[in-house]
Amino acid sequence: MASRALAVWQNRQVVGLLVRRDLKVKYQKSILGYAWSMLEPLAMAGVYFFVFGLIFNTNRGVPGGDDAPGGYLLFLISGLLPWLWFSTALNEAPKALISQSKLITTMKVPREIFPIAVVTRGFVDYLFTWPVLLLFVFFLGGRTTLMGVLVWLPAALVVQYAFTLGVTFLLASVNVLVRDVERIVRILNRILFYASAIIIPSGMVLDGTSSFPGWFKSLFQLNPLLGIFKMHHAVWYPADAPGFARAAAEGGFALTTALVGALVFLTVGYWVFRRLETAVLKEL
Amino acid sequence: MAEPIIEAENLGISFAVNRRRKRSLREMFIHGKKRDPNAAGADFWPMRGVSFQVAEGECVGIVGKNGTGKSTLLKMIAGVLIPDEGSVRVRGKVAPLLELRAGFNDQLTGRENVYLVGSLHGMDTETIDARFDEIVEFANIREGYIDMPVRHYSSGMKVRLGFALISQLEHPVMLVDEVLAVGDKAFKKKCYEAIERMLAKNRTMVLVSHNETDLKRFCDRGLYIKDGELALDADIETALAAYNADTKAETEARKKAAEEKKLRRQEKGGGEAA
Repeated sequence: MASRALAVWQNRQVVGLLVRRDLKVKYQKSILGYAWSMLEPLAMAGVYFFVFGLIFNTNRGVPGGDDAPGGYLLFLISGLLPWLWFSTALNEAPKALISQSKLITTMKVPREIFPIAVVTRGFVDYLFTWPVLLLFVFFLGGRTTLMGVLVWLPAALVVQYAFTLGVTFLLASVNVLVRDVERIVRILNRILFYASAIIIPSGMVLDGTSSFPGWFKSLFQLNPLLGIFKMHHAVWYPADAPGFARAAAEGGFALTTALVGALVFLTVGYWVFRRLETAVLKEL
Repeated sequence: MAEPIIEAENLGISFAVNRRRKRSLREMFIHGKKRDPNAAGADFWPMRGVSFQVAEGECVGIVGKNGTGKSTLLKMIAGVLIPDEGSVRVRGKVAPLLELRAGFNDQLTGRENVYLVGSLHGMDTETIDARFDEIVEFANIREGYIDMPVRHYSSGMKVRLGFALISQLEHPVMLVDEVLAVGDKAFKKKCYEAIERMLAKNRTMVLVSHNETDLKRFCDRGLYIKDGELALDADIETALAAYNADTKAETEARKKAAEEKKLRRQEKGGGEAA
């Protein structure tokens, strides 16, 4: 186990190369290249803002009130950008090993680096979108806190990275043997998007005034992604901060689920990955 | 004798035949590597019980019919397949020439590919920088092509670039699988020279080939693999002789069988006529 970790660390340069290769391939063939990384989330944000912000111009439940600095638009953007990171990784996870079968069957590199490369590339893509986010923050008058920058932002990134990596390990290895995974992922992607309070503030479900029963609120908070995206939102909306074990209306226990969920998925995902490695190599 | 550089012990690998994926998945989770004895009957063992040692500086040729597990063996030594039984230990890094073109990404240019694949094989950037011109020259890539996407290359060019790159690796063990058969005459000659140069530097090589001249030229030892088992471990001449003898015997047996069949058919036909 320790020697495997060391081997992966020694190959970190390779991860960098794979990431750079994929980004190059991705941007080389399109004219706008890098601009696509921003246009996609912007288009999505535009659509959701049009539908929920302008058409259903009712209570959007922005944490801290509708007059909170940044408003609903910044809330959308700050959730959509990291969501795209997770969602691309989730989409590509099943193919992480299959698409690289040529490299895997001819070279002795720790197989772990391929899932790691997928998640890392999503992360790099996400970092590339930060200039746009900051632009919005500037023009919409978004405000952050010391707590947001020093605690919620790094915590959100680390936990999301760990969780996404665990999921990728799991899906990448299982999909080589059972190709149905690819299809499940598409459905999962859609469900998780709405379940993780990215465009709908979680307060709409969790607040005392909402009509959802208690068991549903608990179920809602069992999704590790909810806590992750609440952390992303908490950077700009301190009122959205998740809690360890508070009442549903005051942040609930989403933070606990996020931390435990990330740990569990990383452990189980990696365990399955190692367990299936022999069979996967034969199948490739 | 010093410690062997490659040490294979009771090597075996199994592939499930007609496997129903569901069952197999469950099996893997529950039993892991220790398979239950009842399930073992359904498995196909392309290779089993192979043990040998290779000393440093040796060049070993592997011979045998198609489908007897030569490439599988090489892949296990390279570490890209994990054996189900036994173990293989290699002291030192391995430079595998298993499939030359593999690893090159069609969308990237030759230059980018050399850097990518080179690093995947453990070369650092400075080394590649230093040897880049040599690699391109060896591969005989025409002016300007190196900065073109690899998808525009001919298959020969890709193979040449691959070999040029791998031959620059300084790993102590080289594994070569049937790749000398490609390329034109001039390039083949270059490859031979490169291999001889490497062998002169006391590097170890394991070669899979059907070309007797190649084998006799480089190897001093031969492993004859027959039906997934190590039939003979001797010098290359003896191994080749055994392989040839077996092939001959088989051809004759087949001829005989065909004749008998013919004869029987004639008899049958004759019987009907009468």
